[in-house]
Amino acid sequence: MGQSHIYEASPELENENTNGSEEREIPLYEVIAMAEKVTSALKPLVRSLDKSMYRELKDMLRNIEELRGDLSMVDPDDIFSRRIPEMGKELGAIVAATEVATNTIMSIAEQVMEVKHEDPKQYAEAVQQHMMAIFEACTFQDLTGQRVTRIIQTIEVIEQRIEVLCRLIENNQITPMADKSSDTEKRNKERLCNGPANEGEGINQEAVDAMF
Amino acid sequence: MPLNRNLRILIVDDYSTMLRILRNLLKQLGFEDVQEATDGQAALALFENHTFDLVISDWNMEPMTGFQLLKSVRSRPAIAATKFIMITAESATENVIEAKKAGVNNYIIKPFTSEVLLGKIETVFAQQVA
Repeated sequence: MGQSHIYEASPELENENTNGSEEREIPLYEVIAMAEKVTSALKPLVRSLDKSMYRELKDMLRNIEELRGDLSMVDPDDIFSRRIPEMGKELGAIVAATEVATNTIMSIAEQVMEVKHEDPKQYAEAVQQHMMAIFEACTFQDLTGQRVTRIIQTIEVIEQRIEVLCRLIENNQITPMADKSSDTEKRNKERLCNGPANEGEGINQEAVDAMF
Repeated sequence: MPLNRNLRILIVDDYSTMLRILRNLLKQLGFEDVQEATDGQAALALFENHTFDLVISDWNMEPMTGFQLLKSVRSRPAIAATKFIMITAESATENVIEAKKAGVNNYIIKPFTSEVLLGKIETVFAQQVA
């Protein structure tokens, strides 16, 4: 549309220049009139350029905002400052608990081997007592199991975030992730399940006893 | 007053190892009448045909947690008076408060010793006598 206006104006301009073969001075009012014609002919073009540039910029802004939103879902800070260190703590606690339990059970086994066999009654009592200690030491399995479960949950969250990143890279449709928690974490939160506390965290038996 | 060793005890835990440990510890402590359930729903099902003096339950179980079991037991008049000890790794203060509000008689944090277990059972039943 803008171009057609330019061509409408052009024949007149051409006529003005080519009809008279001899050169003549153009009066100022004619120059001004021609300038006005050119300006008014270009107006629609400039206006349409304005509109399309505005549309382009708006689209770019929307894309940038979407990208920012998607990248915030990945939340690398949460992964590196919270989840991975927590996973390290859990693994450390598992190693420590396993080591303590193993040493305890081995010590008890050594003590049982030391027990004198002469008096059967005394021997039976000593063995029974030691067996109790073995049962107690075996509780580590439950605690380490719960810690491993928490590690698995964290890996699931990281997996979800990596999936978001992969989708971004592939320019696919991204499913919004409103809550940073995994489904299992959300369920556990609702049910007040935190699992075993790490060394120096949580509450100990003495503190619990004081509450009762 | 000596503790009655003929208590009918229901232990609830989704870890079979933990159930085994608890059963053996209780047996060594002189408690022979012990039944097992692997989650809250299974425990409630057992209540339909059995009477228990004491429930010792884990917290974190699927599909019904120990906390939900506790609330369920307390809400049923026929079994509401059953003593209930929570024995769990859930060591956040708010969990203990929630459990206490819901009517738990005592709370043991894992790992625990047989002395602690016996001590809590004695305390719970001494409260009854008092």
